[in-house]
Amino acid sequence: MSAPLTQCLLRLLDGNYTLTDYQSDTLPRWCTGCGDNSILTAVQRLCRDEQLPPEKTVFVSGIGCSSRLPHYMNAYGFHGLHGRALPVAEGVKLRRPDLHVFVTTGDGDCCSIGAAHWIHAIRYNMDMTVLLHDNEVYGLTKMQASPTSPRGLKSNTTPRGALLDPLNPLTVTLGVANVSFVAQAVDWIPEVLFDIITQAYRHKGCSFVRVLQRCPEFMDHRFDPWVQDPSKMRVLAHADGIQLKPDLSRIYRNQETHDPSDLHRAREVASLTEEIPVGVLYRNSAVPCYEDLREGERPNTPGLIRTVLNEEFDKFTIWPEDGGGTAPPE
Amino acid sequence: MTATHPETAHAGDNARQGGEVRNGDMDQVALDIASPRMTDADAGPAVGPALRPALFARYGDLSKLRYDFPLVLVDGDGGGRFLQSLTSVVDGILREVAPPGAAAESLRRQVLRLESEIRAQVSRGESDSLSLLWKRTAADLITEKGESVFGPLATKLDHAREALHVDGAVIDCDEDTPYRVLVHIWTAVQASKAKAFRKKVDALVMKLSDILKADFMKSDKAHTQEALQSAVGTSFESAFDFAAMSRVLSRGPSEDRLSEDRRRRIRAVLQVLQSQRFYGPGRASERRPDQPEPYSFVFDSCAAALDAFRDRLPEMLDFVKVLTIAELEIQNKYRTALHDPVFAHFDESDLSEDQLALFPSYLVCLRDGRTDPAETLRAFETLASGLPVKVLVQTDDILGTTSPEPPRSSFGAGSARLAAMAVGLNDTYVFQTANANLYRAHDRLVTGMRYEGPALFTVYSGATPSAAGVPPYLLSAAATESRAFPTFVYDPAVGPDLATRFDITDNPQATVDWPVHDLFYEDEALQRIDEKVPFTHVDFVACDARYARYCEPAPRANWRDDMIPAADYLKLAPERSLEHSAYILTVDAGNALSRTVVDDKLMNAARHCADAWRRLQELGGVNNSYANRLLARERVAWEEQKAQELAELHTAEPPAPEAAPPAEAVAPPIPAAAVEPAEAEEPEPANPDEAWIETARCTTCDECTQINNRMFAYNENKQAFIADLGAGTYSQMVEAAESCQVSIIHPGKPRDPSEPNLEDLIARAGPFI
Repeated sequence: MSAPLTQCLLRLLDGNYTLTDYQSDTLPRWCTGCGDNSILTAVQRLCRDEQLPPEKTVFVSGIGCSSRLPHYMNAYGFHGLHGRALPVAEGVKLRRPDLHVFVTTGDGDCCSIGAAHWIHAIRYNMDMTVLLHDNEVYGLTKMQASPTSPRGLKSNTTPRGALLDPLNPLTVTLGVANVSFVAQAVDWIPEVLFDIITQAYRHKGCSFVRVLQRCPEFMDHRFDPWVQDPSKMRVLAHADGIQLKPDLSRIYRNQETHDPSDLHRAREVASLTEEIPVGVLYRNSAVPCYEDLREGERPNTPGLIRTVLNEEFDKFTIWPEDGGGTAPPE
Repeated sequence: MTATHPETAHAGDNARQGGEVRNGDMDQVALDIASPRMTDADAGPAVGPALRPALFARYGDLSKLRYDFPLVLVDGDGGGRFLQSLTSVVDGILREVAPPGAAAESLRRQVLRLESEIRAQVSRGESDSLSLLWKRTAADLITEKGESVFGPLATKLDHAREALHVDGAVIDCDEDTPYRVLVHIWTAVQASKAKAFRKKVDALVMKLSDILKADFMKSDKAHTQEALQSAVGTSFESAFDFAAMSRVLSRGPSEDRLSEDRRRRIRAVLQVLQSQRFYGPGRASERRPDQPEPYSFVFDSCAAALDAFRDRLPEMLDFVKVLTIAELEIQNKYRTALHDPVFAHFDESDLSEDQLALFPSYLVCLRDGRTDPAETLRAFETLASGLPVKVLVQTDDILGTTSPEPPRSSFGAGSARLAAMAVGLNDTYVFQTANANLYRAHDRLVTGMRYEGPALFTVYSGATPSAAGVPPYLLSAAATESRAFPTFVYDPAVGPDLATRFDITDNPQATVDWPVHDLFYEDEALQRIDEKVPFTHVDFVACDARYARYCEPAPRANWRDDMIPAADYLKLAPERSLEHSAYILTVDAGNALSRTVVDDKLMNAARHCADAWRRLQELGGVNNSYANRLLARERVAWEEQKAQELAELHTAEPPAPEAAPPAEAVAPPIPAAAVEPAEAEEPEPANPDEAWIETARCTTCDECTQINNRMFAYNENKQAFIADLGAGTYSQMVEAAESCQVSIIHPGKPRDPSEPNLEDLIARAGPFI
């Protein structure tokens, strides 16, 4: 309903933000070589390229190395409780649908303690971008096995090696009703990481991006086979997904044309173990967002709340002059 | 000959049983006019003998028929349907509670009886809401049957009533119907506009109030003990020491507060938003005791509407400005130096159509005989102004005085041409129709009311005093049938050309001059005769007692061979028409069929009417003369070409059998190209002796910058590049290459041959070169 005049005047003052406008005064304290740095850079580039006003951008996190990210962004942030990043983000989005909401969570925060919230956040499909920093270990607390840790990993809580096969966040997410966007990236191909995060941001709905990231401290060589042998990376290329630039194409030749609208194939690709699929696995723009479904015909102003409450109370009020009837006096 | 009486109607079409009458289905119409024969004086109403066109024969008491009336003016949204006919409402109820079958037959009959009684009441002038009419009529039927209120009839009717999902005023087809229907639809359309308006305004008010509230919470006033206590409420007040809280908060650093200028501006904006008078407050709006009444937008003259628009224009401008300021403030993008001058010079020339569309449209209701005739001109000017004005011009008399030639000066006939003239304005929505058609024209009416520009609705009510014996429904339908007042719509919003904008298909049999209907009657030998009878302009005029003196019923003994039906007479060339006399078929009070000879003046009027109708048809793409001429030219050219080809064939050798035209080559499907990885031309191989970094693959891990942040630096994308090779040693370069998580640093050859441990360093650098 905004008039053209309003649009013109608003655009006159569109900010010209640079990368440094999104860098907080706090320097990142992640370990040198940590994949979180790559994700932080990609997110800051996204904010700059999309010219997101810092005061309209919110980063919500739980607990873990990943969840330090809001501290390093010059935007609004909420560093919350372990596993509760998603419900807080949903609350922010419901109350302030105009804000750009990002969730940074880790494999423990999302897939362990936060698993229940994770499933329903996918189902609610509220418009936000969820970045799962998956380093397959609890790093902040100095090495415990997480739900995505590989079987056999020796850690402080699994000294004889993890007994269980890891949970696959991609297949779990693709199995939830109303899923609308699932992608996977790796921190050591920053261009693709940036491309995927950009597409995730632009998708209207809950965009779930799993980023496999290296932990140089506790999982030092975990991803070496894939880092050193590009043929083990399967790039999912499509006009509707990602398309590699020529220089990257020369390196990552193992590419598959994958249509993001094909859910069944997405599930198959997500199940790959020997190769790491990278790209947009699934996208469905037709899934409605919960906040749109919830949007009422009018805002819940204090006046409306008062009016509605009074109407309800009037139904049960006995008006003495009426001799016991339920109608208010004329 | 006797026209078929309703009681002896042909099978399958029994009006007494409630057979449905469609608008324009004149075969089912019977009419009873009883009025004295007109004298030579041009008197007012009803001065001639009763004449009924034969096609009216089957329409006796309309209240006994099931047709489009009465109408229910639906309360509320109605699912987008603002009008329902009683018939359709009852049909809906029966579909839900009494599907076809023997079991529900009794219920069906009772409900139909109830409907018939409601219809009769409404036709007698009793007006009320449908629910109350239902309740009252049901009670009457129960009393009449002598049953108790808990008896079987009451139970059945209650059961049916549960399926009644609409309510609203019930109105018949009379002189007030056009006004009531259009005001109702206008009101409903404005209500949905109001909802959207209030949603936007209430959201802005809420956000601006939040800004002021947040600012207040930072103020000293909000940190007083009393303010903190009232903010917490009574439930947990014993858990807090508000005095201590107040001291602590007051000692804290002062936070950024709004400037006084900004606070004042927001308050002024709120004041305007909350006190606007264009729409009334909704359920969500805060109600203030001093809130003024909302404006009315329904007028009975164009002058009053234009005056009101001009008076309210400053307020509209203020409101539009305030909407923009509100959005800027909410985004924190209002800049005094930049925006104050913009809004200071904002005037009506800056108002766009979108902004005008925010406000309610103005409804002007004009009526033949009750409005100053000069209003017709003003209506035209108002429509030409482009303002969002909806003008209803109701006419009760199309024919005017007894000058049978098309009246040139009377308001009533003028309005029939007003709509055609308004089409020339190009951007005005124009809809002309008769009262009888209003129910079926629901979508057209709603579209016109929703149209953002000016709209004109001309409606013939059928309540012509000089045809008092003909129900308005019947007379108005006859006006449409006879092309005296045809239905058409011009909608500028649907397309760029006349073919898409102009539509006459709502008229019966729109491709012919006069609609033709079946007439069944019995001859003297009581044999059924079927005849196709056109309904012409003459049939319509004959209903008006003022023109009765131009009609002479001819007894059977006086019938001659030169008497031909009026429709056929109109097709004759002028010189041949002198040899004939025209007649129409009429029935008398006993439904006896006869021929009524009509005066040449009526035939002239019919010719004019037919001519006007054909012009309208052309606009609607029917028998378009340009298209016909083009077609004729093309046909002639095609025929000549074919003739020439034939001639050539005859003079030439016997031709070979014509080869079948080659089958259209079907291109083989293009195989889906396999997607190959994008191959770019190989870049020039980097000089292996020089150090370089694959910057695009840098993961910003800080490994190299931590080793030497002068040698390695980040670019604008926070990806590393070699900033200054001389700022560090070859040893640091090799160490960075080894530390790099993605092995994108290529150390090259050492630049300084005197650097210690070069052999070892070169060996270590080997894998990265």
